[in-house]
Amino acid sequence: MTGFTLIEKIIKKHTDVLINDIYPGNIVWVDLDLVTARDYAGPQVVDLFQKNYPNSNTFDNEKIIFTPDCYPYGNDPKHAIDQEKIRVFAKEHNIRITDLGSGIGSHLLFRRGFVKPGDIAIGADSHYNILGALGILGQGAGDVMLAFSMKTGKFWIKIPETIKVVLEGDYKWPTTSKDLALYVLKYLHEYGITGKAVEFYGDIISKLSIEDRVTLCSLITEASGVIGFVSPDQTTVDFYDKLGISTEVLSADEDTRYASELIIDIQDLGMYIACPPHPHNVKPIEEVVGTTINSIIIGSCTNGSSADIHNAALILKDQKINSNVRFGLVPATREDFVDINLRGDMTTILEAGGNFFGAGCSTCAKGQYGLTGGETAVTMTTGNRNTQGKIGPADVYLASPVVAAATAIEGKIAIPKIRGD
Amino acid sequence: MDREKLSGNVKLVKIDDIDTDQIFHQSLLTIHNPEEIKPHIFGNLQGFERFGEENHQNKILIVGKNFGKGSTRQQAVTGFLSHGIKAIVGESFGPIYYNNAVNGGLLLIEAPRISAFTITEQDTIEIDFVNAVITNMNTGEKIDCNPVPNPVLDIINAGGLLELGKGAGK
Repeated sequence: MTGFTLIEKIIKKHTDVLINDIYPGNIVWVDLDLVTARDYAGPQVVDLFQKNYPNSNTFDNEKIIFTPDCYPYGNDPKHAIDQEKIRVFAKEHNIRITDLGSGIGSHLLFRRGFVKPGDIAIGADSHYNILGALGILGQGAGDVMLAFSMKTGKFWIKIPETIKVVLEGDYKWPTTSKDLALYVLKYLHEYGITGKAVEFYGDIISKLSIEDRVTLCSLITEASGVIGFVSPDQTTVDFYDKLGISTEVLSADEDTRYASELIIDIQDLGMYIACPPHPHNVKPIEEVVGTTINSIIIGSCTNGSSADIHNAALILKDQKINSNVRFGLVPATREDFVDINLRGDMTTILEAGGNFFGAGCSTCAKGQYGLTGGETAVTMTTGNRNTQGKIGPADVYLASPVVAAATAIEGKIAIPKIRGD
Repeated sequence: MDREKLSGNVKLVKIDDIDTDQIFHQSLLTIHNPEEIKPHIFGNLQGFERFGEENHQNKILIVGKNFGKGSTRQQAVTGFLSHGIKAIVGESFGPIYYNNAVNGGLLLIEAPRISAFTITEQDTIEIDFVNAVITNMNTGEKIDCNPVPNPVLDIINAGGLLELGKGAGK
């Protein structure tokens, strides 16, 4: 018998099925370490729970967290009512809540140490698989699954095949992990990873920060993959050490047989833009340079960290945002807000003409920002989806914070040249 | 549901990579009532904007690959149940969408070679779960599909996942 992939090892630790039942394609029930819901879907989870399991307790109130992050100080009375419903339920069941202004749930889960490598967590967020960046099996789930899981602590998963992806080579500023993520997305979408997991390897991995890894793993959803993993290594252990949480490195078995193994050459990787109307419509920046952009957002679980905002600040130091551009920034979490204040990046960007908004999901899930473009204005975001009509009736481009900042200065897609450090 | 076979008239939406914002747009996410979700289905999918107002009762939807990629929104499943859609047949589905569909009681059939299947909206198809075969009843053409895993049929036959939870715990 050959060894297990990372996802198989994590699943094996969370189920009582026989070892022979751990194989790709099989459906197994797992015990969850954490169930979360947010202000989108959360109210429906509460309704479904109360309707189907009246007068019931949850499976374990300490393994549930509500993380309202979609509609921070929502623009619709319905949002306030929905958030209230979550708070009332949380209080009644003694469940934790990271309330408005705390930020994106998926980021809080690792930034505050709510989950650790090897854990399984689900939430109403299709990018919960960013947790794969820390070796955590995070999965998005709909409100039916979440209501069931809050009652039972269980989740079913079809064990995916795993593809080993070796990233070969290195890249230099102004190329960043978002360019890497977009390039890998294009490659994997063409290859076809629907319903599959990915494990990332290569010498580059040890040089990537936690934030870089999160960005890399955040676009697996856009290729219809289940999750992308970076095996927890010393970087991961050090990250959790700072939170006072002891963890261990975790890896797939050495004799694991993968469904396939791919080598992606990233030596001297350039910069990339996802063009309308799909995230996987990725092109080298040179092909779209000069395209007029009117609205720019830096934020989201893909690129809303303080490291991302710092990258933008390096470009924007002593510069001015183009008068035809509206430039908004949405830090992922309160912790990121603190970081950018301490480092002076917030002042740099405010002086350049940028606008900051409360921590949360930014353009991705309505509420905080919905339509930033209008009929003719073209949007660029550092997020992960540019589906036609999602953010604005007009076109939406996805780019790195560095490219977004350079573009904000020029008013058109621009190749970053300046670095202010 | 008959655990062996299912048949119905066909509605074709053969486009690849339809994501949940095209099925049920993010600006509508505070809507949860199934009857209110129904008219908005495919409201942001070019060429299918009127789908939500049409009658699709008892039809089988034929889609392309990566159907339902994108967000976790359950409404993108609930809307098809409101329309009385019996099943969705596609080359492949977004993994979260697949789970949500099963949990809500909507049957998804993976048919990797569906793009090569000759079919029109005048046709009726039959899906044979036991033998994992789809048949065009008008032409007799057959195509294989992936078997529906038993745990999936168990959840759908129970009336959705929430029913399974009713026996659990306190």
